Amino acid sequence: MAKKPIGTPMRRTDAVSKASGAEKYLSDMHFDGMLYARMVRSGIPRGIITDISLPPLPDGYRFITYKDIPAGGNNELVMIKKDYRCFAEQDVRYVGETIGLLVGPDRSVLVDLLEKISISYEEQVPAVTIDEGLACKGGAFVGENNLFCDFTIHKGDIDSVLADAHRIFEDEITTGWQEHVHLETNAALVMPDGDKFVVYASAQCPFYVRKSIAGLLNRPYEDIVVRQTTTGGAFGGKEHFPDVLAGPLLVAANVIKKPIQLVFDRHEDGAYSVKRHPSRTRFKTALDEQGNILGMDIDVVYNAGGYESCSYVVLQRGVFHATGVYNIPASRVRGRAVATNTFPSDAFRGFGAPQTLFAVETHLCHIAAALGVDPLALKSKYFLRQGDPTVTNGHVFEKVVLPEMLDQVLQASGYEQKVAEYKRGSGKGIGISFYNHGGAFTGNGEQMIIKAKARLHKRADGCVEILVGSTEMGQGLQTAFTKIVADTLGIGEDKVLYPNPDTANVADSGPTVASRSTMIVGKILEGAALEMKERWNESEDFFTEDEYKHPEGHPWDQNTFQGDAYIAYGWGICAVEVEVDPLTHEVVTKGIWSSHDIGVPIDELVVHGQINGGIIQSLGYAAMEKLDFHPKKGFKQVGLSDYIIPTSMDFPSQGASLVHNPYPYGPSGAKGMGELVFNGASAAFIDAVSRAVDKDIRAIPIPPETLTELMA
Amino acid sequence: MTRDIQFVLNGKEVAITCDPLKRLLDVLRDDFGLFGTKEACGEGECGACSVLKDSKIITTCMVPMGSVQGCEIMTIEGLRETARGTCIIEAFADGGAVQCGFCIPGMVIAAESLLASNPDPSEEDIRLGISGNLCRCTGYDLIVESIRLAAKRGKGLW
Amino acid sequence: MVETCYIPKDLAEALRIRKETGAHPIAGGTDLMVSHRRGTGVVPKFPWPVMIITQLKELQKIEVEDGEVSIYAGSTCHEIEASELVPYQVRKAASLMGAQSLRNLATIGGNICNASPKGDLPVPLIMLDARVELVSATGKRQMLLDEFIDGPKRTRLQDDELLSRIIIPQPKAPFTYLWYRKIGTRRANAISKLSMCAAATVDDNGIIVDFRSANGASGPKVARSRAVEETIIGLPVDRLTERLPAFLDAYDAILAPQAMPQYRRSSTRRMLEFFLSEVSRRPDTTIIE
Repeated sequence: MAKKPIGTPMRRTDAVSKASGAEKYLSDMHFDGMLYARMVRSGIPRGIITDISLPPLPDGYRFITYKDIPAGGNNELVMIKKDYRCFAEQDVRYVGETIGLLVGPDRSVLVDLLEKISISYEEQVPAVTIDEGLACKGGAFVGENNLFCDFTIHKGDIDSVLADAHRIFEDEITTGWQEHVHLETNAALVMPDGDKFVVYASAQCPFYVRKSIAGLLNRPYEDIVVRQTTTGGAFGGKEHFPDVLAGPLLVAANVIKKPIQLVFDRHEDGAYSVKRHPSRTRFKTALDEQGNILGMDIDVVYNAGGYESCSYVVLQRGVFHATGVYNIPASRVRGRAVATNTFPSDAFRGFGAPQTLFAVETHLCHIAAALGVDPLALKSKYFLRQGDPTVTNGHVFEKVVLPEMLDQVLQASGYEQKVAEYKRGSGKGIGISFYNHGGAFTGNGEQMIIKAKARLHKRADGCVEILVGSTEMGQGLQTAFTKIVADTLGIGEDKVLYPNPDTANVADSGPTVASRSTMIVGKILEGAALEMKERWNESEDFFTEDEYKHPEGHPWDQNTFQGDAYIAYGWGICAVEVEVDPLTHEVVTKGIWSSHDIGVPIDELVVHGQINGGIIQSLGYAAMEKLDFHPKKGFKQVGLSDYIIPTSMDFPSQGASLVHNPYPYGPSGAKGMGELVFNGASAAFIDAVSRAVDKDIRAIPIPPETLTELMA
Repeated sequence: MTRDIQFVLNGKEVAITCDPLKRLLDVLRDDFGLFGTKEACGEGECGACSVLKDSKIITTCMVPMGSVQGCEIMTIEGLRETARGTCIIEAFADGGAVQCGFCIPGMVIAAESLLASNPDPSEEDIRLGISGNLCRCTGYDLIVESIRLAAKRGKGLW
Repeated sequence: MVETCYIPKDLAEALRIRKETGAHPIAGGTDLMVSHRRGTGVVPKFPWPVMIITQLKELQKIEVEDGEVSIYAGSTCHEIEASELVPYQVRKAASLMGAQSLRNLATIGGNICNASPKGDLPVPLIMLDARVELVSATGKRQMLLDEFIDGPKRTRLQDDELLSRIIIPQPKAPFTYLWYRKIGTRRANAISKLSMCAAATVDDNGIIVDFRSANGASGPKVARSRAVEETIIGLPVDRLTERLPAFLDAYDAILAPQAMPQYRRSSTRRMLEFFLSEVSRRPDTTIIE
């Protein structure tokens, strides 16, 4: 019987359970004697706590602070650095920083008590914007210059290029904060279990959680057992942030010795959880007399907020994507992550790449407009090709199928006819953007830091259990891994089980981030499955395990940032057509088309759903997700009535296609895709609107009132 | 202060003594153990807390129990036991509508509410019908197609 | 804080309770249950006694008497949207409030008494010179809706009164042209950033015999000025275009300088200009879009 291609859609393993309301998420779980927790947070952006005044606490209610960390424990949440504190002690760095946890049995009493807690501060002058952070307003609070990191990458000799240029194009593009709005808010629960602790968390990385919080009680990792609960969306917002819930809960559970649940309400998630880094990207682009691009001098600054968390890694990715899908002959890219007294910025789908990709795409559109040429004609001249040098003097190893993808998008969208028909400023416009995403961890992260493993268990009942630390958060990983294992073993998909990971039982496969899971962990699983297949009849019940093998030939120097920052890329093209209402300046999107190279789809329906979702989230980023920051009070739009995400009526159905381009080191040829699909739609939308109103746009988001100001 | 409130829940007559201002959402989840109805925004914006009240879709996070006296409430747990509910759930599963799943019970309720008044909806009708349900994962397209699939498969059910 | 919640069985009992305790009515709960929420698993808390009136059938009807449409205060947005007795613009405004679930719960009484400057229903109602009827245990009275809503979140409801119905008078002649536009925060399930409602009546001689226009979310109250409207009334339609700039300047002056002033002013101007230039073309359709 001919084997059907792996991409043939299968019914997702979790679909019926979720659709019928049977699937339990963290807030649906109850434990005997469970208590509730509410977070007490800083109400000011910067200052010293001078007094915490509590109302009298009834029996069974406790206020937990840094003072409850036992001797030998450290008041730290270990993320990538150790700079994040579990609790504030004397000083506070941002509105929303954790001061304590109020714990008790009745949620109504907790709210009454919360309202009566009063905290006094000696306030200091906060730095909130990128400019204020760089200027060290109020005095630097990180190092001497408020910089968490500052590094530069080079390709060629940009200074000579700039000196000899016929024309230098300067530009500045900015992007704002974005909130994840995973429909399930942040949630965690910690309970004692004998002499260990069990953490239930709506989280992407169970192993990250235990690594982060074990030191609070000075315990070995194995004493903190982390169980991921079915996660209602994450998008990077639950990569490190669960530590911020689990840490205080662990300290509390150690004192109170009962299960304690903490679930944020939507306003807490909006006001007091991590966001996408706002960015400012400045260009000096050198052109010759014929309008050829000779080089780009790029300055990238990200607003990192009060703690570093993963900002260095986010910035790296932003910097390594700063010249997009183009082979720019010479470049220099400087990246800085600046500390400000705002809620720490953190992982969010794309992880730094969306900001710089948006910037370079939009910048090139401005150049095209100034030269009087179509952006497509300008951009396609510089498409990277197999073997070309990258911005870090590495190489592109795969065949770059942008030309085939472009054909698909041009055909589907009618781009060329519409460009001819819709004059600039006519109120109608079509835009197009090009983007990529380096798969998996940057540089040598996979082989030097993560060293992922995957484990399989063949059971006596004939089922095979997948034991990896990777998590399903909606992206379809449970289904994808089920397929890879079933396909490799030649057994039915219904015989493969993949429970939510429990750190006590599964191999550490690394975090579920960086679009690495299918490509890296899926490949390791394939290896473990191949071994299991060979040994199938050996025993009724046995385990196989495999680990990451780094392909040879990808030099990388983490000190000079030279070499192959990524060993493979996903590629994307998106076209968006809009019409601007002449009376209200509301933008109506008339069409969305895309093509992607993700190697080979593991499941076409899962891939289709991810493309749709990533594109809509990216369009929201550009069109409507305004998040203002009040210097004293923090984020302004914190609920779903004022933080505006797209509804079913805001954008039309999409035309989506793929170009198959199998990747030799991915399972069945697959590459990563989860973030790629976010990286381009925002620039295509802005390109379209720009053409429709004949104005360069330099910042997103652009709700109608902002467009009006631009057009005035 | 409390009141005795009688209503019909998923086809069964039930009674509860509670504060008449207690939210229907909390009663369903905490008192009746029905977890399919979710809280995702607390202000009626997202639709994850939707149920049918006398066959009309409502958001339970803003409904005081005092206004539920004598009403018929159907949650996802009740809907999934019906032929219509099963049809929608199966179509969602086959159509790729489900990703993280948190919005989906609300979407199933919205689909039922739509098909009950319009058994053969156009794409525009469907998009309007679910416009009160926010989803962050799917971008809506496959949910729309799944509802269309349910309408096609369920001819005669609505 | 008082935590009393009454559930009257009929309007007479509701009025008695209102008089004795001043209890605030909760109809759909879509404003009050949200504005006073206290989180998951916690009962909303009000600083005054409340009474649930969702169940009062006397307040749930829409009828016509002497050519005037009465929408009783407990009518939901869905019922208003669906009723052919209700004028077009009021139905349109109701249909664009929130989402279906909200429209099944939210009442016209609640929307009016909440008196948010961003409220949707008062805009066409004020344009139509609607009146409110207020009842108490001792009697009833009426006043213009435009007077009843006093300012942001403020009405002239007395402590012993309930809003009973909204009465929409019939215009002397049916409107020739109608316009309604809401600019929301997005294309569905949206709070209003700006809404505009306009109507014009042109007689057989081509004279504009009636013109009205009202703006929502443009200031502390719905913006409407009969004085400005009257500068066009009596004009022949073909003289509209030359009067337009002066009219638009005068209209601009009635919009308050609030947040997004530039956007509100310019959008209103463009919408009015469009509506009136369409009117001057004398198209066949009543509803201008």
